[in-house]
Amino acid sequence: MSILSIQGLTKHYGKITAVDHLDLEVEKGMSFGILGPNGSGKTTTLGIILGIIHQNAGAFSWFEGKYGAWHRHHIGALLETPNFYPYLDAVDNLRLIAHIKRVKEPRIDYLLELVNLHHRRHSKFRTFSLGMKQRLAIAAAMIGDPEVLIFDEPTNGLDPQGIAEVRQTLKEIAEMGKTIIMASHILDEVEKVCSHVAIIKDGKLLASGTVGAIISDDMLVEVAAGDLPALKAAMEQLPAVRRIDEEDGKLILYLAEEMAPAELNKMAFEQGLALSHLRVVKKSLESEFLEITGGAKAN
Amino acid sequence: MLYLLKLEWIKLNKLLSFRIFTLFYFVLLPAILLTGKRLDELPPPLVTNEVFFIFPTVWEYLGYVGNWLCFFFFGFLSIIIVTTEYSYRTMRQNIITGLSRRQYFMGKVYFILAMSLLATAYYVLCALLIGYFSTASVYWHKVWQNANYIPRYFLMCFGYMSFGLMLGFLVKRTGIALFLYLAYIMFLEMILRWGVHLQLFENRSMHFYPMNAVEDLVPLPFTQMADQFLSRYGFRLFLSPAEAAVTVITYSLIFILLAYYMVRRADL
Repeated sequence: MSILSIQGLTKHYGKITAVDHLDLEVEKGMSFGILGPNGSGKTTTLGIILGIIHQNAGAFSWFEGKYGAWHRHHIGALLETPNFYPYLDAVDNLRLIAHIKRVKEPRIDYLLELVNLHHRRHSKFRTFSLGMKQRLAIAAAMIGDPEVLIFDEPTNGLDPQGIAEVRQTLKEIAEMGKTIIMASHILDEVEKVCSHVAIIKDGKLLASGTVGAIISDDMLVEVAAGDLPALKAAMEQLPAVRRIDEEDGKLILYLAEEMAPAELNKMAFEQGLALSHLRVVKKSLESEFLEITGGAKAN
Repeated sequence: MLYLLKLEWIKLNKLLSFRIFTLFYFVLLPAILLTGKRLDELPPPLVTNEVFFIFPTVWEYLGYVGNWLCFFFFGFLSIIIVTTEYSYRTMRQNIITGLSRRQYFMGKVYFILAMSLLATAYYVLCALLIGYFSTASVYWHKVWQNANYIPRYFLMCFGYMSFGLMLGFLVKRTGIALFLYLAYIMFLEMILRWGVHLQLFENRSMHFYPMNAVEDLVPLPFTQMADQFLSRYGFRLFLSPAEAAVTVITYSLIFILLAYYMVRRADL
């Protein structure tokens, strides 16, 4: 079942186009990451599909229209900072959310245990630390056992321990079979939590698919030889080479499978090419991310 | 409707300013009138302080006290319930959580309706009690002679609150909205009237400004002074109750529709 379908979504702020003809499809059970640098239109997109920002063009539909205008009762969302009534305590804040969602038995104690806030349930929200606020927001998003959870930069501003806790919680939620939509600029986070990813920059969709397909863990090898074109021609013959880039008089080989450098060297030598340079580069996810988003800038 | 009112109640019953403003109203409404007991000598046209407390004039005097209190406390309250939700960003969160914009807005409108009803009910209660204990011989028709003050009082309170509500949605900042509310009612409207008509009293149309009409619903009860005004300028100082009521209802509807229009359009 389609959970969320976005077609041609566009939002302008004056001359700036925050979201530019964006298309996305989220299916049931996916944990879907929206990855992009700061200011790429992630939050604006989430704002539009949650009804707080009006789009200039395009459309979106939730749950194939099953719940009509009340789809938000079936979505738990945390957008940017956690927003609660500072003069109410944790329990009252959650009760208020349960009332809006018309949830009869909100299991507030269970949820507060889950995010490790039960001992502070009668403290006013304004006395909470940032990490506690974030955790309360996760509990709030889970009220009424919604089918979809939306998180926007869920680990923003947390300390390493907080980040680890939040990610663990998110993974557990994903394992419950819930659909998760998460926006983040941290690649590592998306890779750890999500099954699918869409990469956006300047409001445009650059790539989308399973995490494995988009964020590949190719092995990179730099090679160089006196006769670079001949080397390139030779390397193109190899089945393991997925792609070749030329840079500063070197070739960068993208290998789909592991291959010993010695084997590569031997092959080149058999073709009558002596390698003047051979280096295995462990490709970081960040470079992959920069590669995709940076490519769009050049276009 | 009850769903939205209950939501407002969860939000507000622990809000300090809501508690303080409501408490002040409940204490001050009878208390201010009863300080009149200590006034022994009064300037003419009042001869004794008795008129403050006996039927039917208790409706007028208590109403006038209530006019001031509603202007301050309930006007402020109607601004605060809107602007704090902007500053805490909870309006946005309410909608993300599941309210429609229309529901969010109607929650506020129902709340000011409920507060106006409550304020009026308390006014009626105080008037009846004070009147009953102060009037030597209570006649039923005397008690209810000024009963049209009851709907007028309700409209007055609702008029202030709908103006405050609109300012809240328009300005979004508590401090600026409160300042504008006070400044508009206390002098900006006078300046506006003067700017439009270039005179303060000599034109009847100047009475039909929103906050003047609200005040005239439950006016200063020195009717003799108003009569002098009538003979001097050829028209009344105050709008007639019916005129004031129609004017206030019209303005309140405009305020509420304008605020609703802004809520529908805005990106939050």
